[in-house]
Amino acid sequence: MKPYTIQLMICAGTGCVSNQSFEIKEVLEKEIKKHNLQNEAMVVTTGCNGFCGAGPIMVVQPDGIFYQYLKVTDIPYLVEEHLVKGRPVKKFMYVPPKEEIPIPRMNKIPFFSGQTLVALRNRGMIDPEFIEDYIARGGYRALAKVLTTMSPDEVLKEIKKSGLRGRGGGGFPTGVKWETCKKIPGDRKFVICNADEGDPGAFMDRSIIEGDPHSVIEGMIIGAYAIENVREGYIYVRMEYPLAIKRFNIAVQQAKDNGLLGDNIFDTNFCFDIKVRRGAGAFVCGESTALMASIMGNPGEPRAKYIHTVEKGLYDCPTCLNNVETWANIPQIVLKGADWFTGIGTGDVTHDPWGGSKGTKVFSLAGKVNNTGLVEVPMGITLREIVFNVGGGIRDGKRFKAVQTGGPSGGFIPESLVDLPVDYDELTKVGSMMGSGGMVVLDENNCMVDMAKFFLRFTQDESCGKCVPCREGTKRMYDILYRITKGEGKEEDLDLLEELSNMIVESSLCALGGSAPNPVLTSLKYFREEYLTHVRDKKCPAKVCRELLTFSIDPEKCLENGHGCGVCEKNCPDGAIYGEKKNVHFIDSMKCGKCGVCFDVCKFGAITVE
Amino acid sequence: MINVNIDGKEIQIVEETTIVRAAESAGIWVPTLCYSELFEPYGVCRICSVEVIRGKRSRIVTACNYPLRDNGTKILTNSPRIQTIRKMIMELLLSRWPNVQIIKDIAEAVGVKEPRIKCLERDEDPNACILCGNCVNICKDVVKANVLSFENRGIKREISLPFDEKSDECIVCGACAHVCPTGHIKIKTLGYERGALQDWYLGPKTAINIPTLQAVPRVPIINEEACIKMQTGGCGICSTYCEPEAINYDAKDEEVEIEVGQILLTTGYQTIDLKQMPQYGYGRLDNVYSSLEFEHMLNSTGPTGGTILCKDGSVPRAVGIIHCIGSRDENFHKYCSRVCCMYALKFAHLVKDRTPAEVYQFYIDMRAFGKGYEEFYKRLLDEGVNMIRGKVAEISEGYLTNGEKPFLMVKCEDTLIGKFREIPVDMVILCPAIEPQFDASNIKKIFSISQSPDKFFLERHPKLDPVSTMTDGVFIAGCAQGPKDIPDSVAQASAAAARILSLISLGEVAVDPIKAEVADEYCSGCRICNSLCPYTAISFEEEKKVSFINDMLCKGCGTCVSACPSSAITGKGFTDKQILAELEGILSV
Amino acid sequence: MEQDKEFNPKIVAFLCNWCTYTGADLAGVSRLKSSPCVRIIRVMCSGRVDPTFIIKAFKQGADGVFIGGCHIGDCHYSEGNYKTLRRVEFMKTFLEEFGINPKRLRLEWISASEGDKYAATTLEFETEIRELGPLHLVEA
Repeated sequence: MKPYTIQLMICAGTGCVSNQSFEIKEVLEKEIKKHNLQNEAMVVTTGCNGFCGAGPIMVVQPDGIFYQYLKVTDIPYLVEEHLVKGRPVKKFMYVPPKEEIPIPRMNKIPFFSGQTLVALRNRGMIDPEFIEDYIARGGYRALAKVLTTMSPDEVLKEIKKSGLRGRGGGGFPTGVKWETCKKIPGDRKFVICNADEGDPGAFMDRSIIEGDPHSVIEGMIIGAYAIENVREGYIYVRMEYPLAIKRFNIAVQQAKDNGLLGDNIFDTNFCFDIKVRRGAGAFVCGESTALMASIMGNPGEPRAKYIHTVEKGLYDCPTCLNNVETWANIPQIVLKGADWFTGIGTGDVTHDPWGGSKGTKVFSLAGKVNNTGLVEVPMGITLREIVFNVGGGIRDGKRFKAVQTGGPSGGFIPESLVDLPVDYDELTKVGSMMGSGGMVVLDENNCMVDMAKFFLRFTQDESCGKCVPCREGTKRMYDILYRITKGEGKEEDLDLLEELSNMIVESSLCALGGSAPNPVLTSLKYFREEYLTHVRDKKCPAKVCRELLTFSIDPEKCLENGHGCGVCEKNCPDGAIYGEKKNVHFIDSMKCGKCGVCFDVCKFGAITVE
Repeated sequence: MINVNIDGKEIQIVEETTIVRAAESAGIWVPTLCYSELFEPYGVCRICSVEVIRGKRSRIVTACNYPLRDNGTKILTNSPRIQTIRKMIMELLLSRWPNVQIIKDIAEAVGVKEPRIKCLERDEDPNACILCGNCVNICKDVVKANVLSFENRGIKREISLPFDEKSDECIVCGACAHVCPTGHIKIKTLGYERGALQDWYLGPKTAINIPTLQAVPRVPIINEEACIKMQTGGCGICSTYCEPEAINYDAKDEEVEIEVGQILLTTGYQTIDLKQMPQYGYGRLDNVYSSLEFEHMLNSTGPTGGTILCKDGSVPRAVGIIHCIGSRDENFHKYCSRVCCMYALKFAHLVKDRTPAEVYQFYIDMRAFGKGYEEFYKRLLDEGVNMIRGKVAEISEGYLTNGEKPFLMVKCEDTLIGKFREIPVDMVILCPAIEPQFDASNIKKIFSISQSPDKFFLERHPKLDPVSTMTDGVFIAGCAQGPKDIPDSVAQASAAAARILSLISLGEVAVDPIKAEVADEYCSGCRICNSLCPYTAISFEEEKKVSFINDMLCKGCGTCVSACPSSAITGKGFTDKQILAELEGILSV
Repeated sequence: MEQDKEFNPKIVAFLCNWCTYTGADLAGVSRLKSSPCVRIIRVMCSGRVDPTFIIKAFKQGADGVFIGGCHIGDCHYSEGNYKTLRRVEFMKTFLEEFGINPKRLRLEWISASEGDKYAATTLEFETEIRELGPLHLVEA
């Protein structure tokens, strides 16, 4: 490799790519050539940087200068200034909200400085399509250590000791799962990587795969070695992630070419191979039994899990299934030791594997925070730290209302619990769950009934329809919520909702149904007043449920500020607004379709909504 | 064996027993909807949810598929928690399918009367599909045809065939209809296709059956067309019940080669397909039977034990017997089927004997030709059977205004009184024409024999040689040769057997002496004859440079004789000289 | 002298033993009226009919020659009748060159069961020959 003095790490995660990062790369290369810098500066496309809200992103190494919101047209200027004249360009740098001085270095930006990187340690540092980059960052050293110096039992012991728990949502101790799978007799066993990430707003797994696919593969090889009798592995990737599938395929091929997959890995007797499977396009395929059914070519529907998949999974063989993030953690644990891992996080796992939550967790931070993107934080960090430090607080200075974690299976955590430490058990205690790591921040403008309806709409649509409680129940819950947001709700509906929720949680066939009512249950628990306002007063305090709003025109503002301009009248699709030009206008509430166009077009704030 | 406690009852069960079975043995009822012993529990209705307590942990599981493994497990099948769940589930189901009986029953049993929930997908159909999945599971697990499957997801889920079309994989076993708890699946007979569940409602209905009680030997046979195991490799349930393990699905039809000297063809007949004549309503109207079906009903070991009953179980008030269906008919067969008149008279006699019904015989000509037949006819007339000479035009359904049960109206022309008549009856028996087996022409080709224009096998000579055929050693007897009754068949078969035996006792077979012969001295070795011989009996002798005829292969057709340019070949018995002399002789006068 | 009074055509029929000959027999057994002018020569197969026979028949006083064989595909000897078909076609052109109306030679496929066909065809052939008149090949 030629020694380059400057490396331009341009983010090629899905978010940045959709904002033209590949075009930017082309222009960059052209500009570099123009200035004859091609022997000094190198452009590298990396996986997701994490700060997706600010994309497209470029980090100039080795200084770690962070540029955001780049445009193709900005590049000539940037190259000229930074690379030729050596003056980093301030106007492309990150400026914290409510401040004016930009922060040039990436590691000084609170979004990054508040994070602890384990699973994402290579993000933005390597080109995911080159195995050499991964190896240069210490990749496959853990595998070498395992295969040459450790017995399978020792590896298992280490993982058990680390207290690592499943990152896919359930939080089942990984070591325990491996051990059970190992103990079940059988000479054909499987490991599977679940990359069917379907929660709306969650993209942790995608970012890991797109940014560092080899860490997952290395983790799987180590797992296969520890469990023994595993020669086949599957990676089940969501269909909607074409880039992830492509990068996995490249990575698997490179690993094979380098003798890291296949027969006699590292010249030992250990043989293992991985196949990449494209998902079937249903949310429920992320459920382990449905996923296995899908791999086998059957409809992706879950089955009753009284006989666990570690006992009888894929092709009726013992199968160990873990999430992308779990696998990505494995090499680091092996390399740095379980003690290092247990040093991060909460609780004590030395005696009880369920005793605490260790290590870090990746969240996709979205919603009404300033810094949206991918964050990896140590277990036990409070919600406040995530929202206000890493996330940079609520956008537009609005009031923080709640956090929704765990996607459609999770629940709402109200402002009163903002100092809650984030780990598996604490979240479960308050009725939510870790889930795969979606974290949506809500502010005062979010209606809880509407949010609950949104998630129910998703789950009832994604329900496979196999069992009665989930198929019929979630649809009925959605119907009730829909009625409430339309102003047709009754007070009894709230009890019925609760009753339905409890039944679905207790009697559903799989975890999808078992957790689907969580958004309703938690919102009912913490925001019952808001529901009551909807059903009793037929009002929506957050002004989201349109059917419950009344639009009216403030006559004073209309006349004095706007002089009866009549723009609202022109734009009203229902013809509900009357009034002479230069006179006060009125809204006929009987005709008003509550579309809100008048509110948007009125420049004088004369439209009031209640 | 482990001990478990169900609702306070201590019972001992084998490990891995499901809760449903354990509860059953304890005499405790657990409601189920999608559960069937025929296939692996599906566990989707969740109505069988029960509470399982192990140590301090309590868990809701489905009883149908939860295997009991631990000693001391405590099960509550009707705790308040369970009651709430069941009620809620039944409310959901009842709100969607308010008129389905099984849902109404279970709802009532768990105490739900009127659901509180309004369902947008409400379906009033009492035979609605309730998505229990029984049909899909039996098709997948037992039949192994995998024809039915679920389509769409969530609330839009439904059961469908691949591409919503009739599938070739469907063996029409009817298992899905059998397990459907609401009667949503119905079997329709579209035609006699692969494995079709035939609409033979008087015959055995199962694929494995003893055809009749008089069957010899009295062992069950498997109808390969209808047997699921033989069609798809699924099912196999009968073998699990057979303790001596006598059922062998691999015993398939096989071809065996047997060397014989003589062959007697008695391939029999078939009756005409009555569905060709829609005016008689066979297969369309109830209580219209073919004579064989009626014979089956008369049988004291038959489905009705020999009682004559209409399909609704009532005794017919009048019975019509119609002769010559397809025989003596310009549109179908011109010949007379010979047996119908007499068996129709027998039917009339038995109907008179067993029921008080009026009997009407619709005939063209009464042919009581055999010994004692005419006397029987006379006796029937004395018994009061109505004889109507004339062909029936149509049979249709008739209804009475007073709402009494419908009847069949037989429309015919009574040629003796020269009037058009309509006669109401409750049951009609059709006497179908006897016709050659559908594959008789294949048999004909195999044995190089002839068929008469009516497609029955042709005897060598109608008077002088009525049992042998044009092919030596091949004989015919019975209805394969032409319609005949039992005494005639027996007589003809005995004759054929005697002919065969006489040849066997002779010990040797006389071969036709008619052969061709090559005169070496005239043969020029042109080999024209070699390729002409249809029996490859002629070969060329390289040494002598002449053609040579194998006597054993030669059949004496003479094709080579007439083709030989040097007249070196003579046909024994038919030499040129003989034929020319013959010519001369016949032309001299 | 007799010939002057009334023309009674002489028709020579070469009938295959298995089909037409039996068919003719059946016609007789069935008491069907067939042509009385036909003088039958039985051959084992219509393929046995040598062209010489046809010529000889005409030469010796026949007014018509009728050949009866099995239906195509039904030959007792598999394919003898194919050969007959070819020969007869050839003979027709040959006869024409000799000045003999080819209509005087007729080939028919009549199976053993077609007694009625045998009766009808021979009667028809007889009428045809009657219309053509005597051949007068034989020196008086």
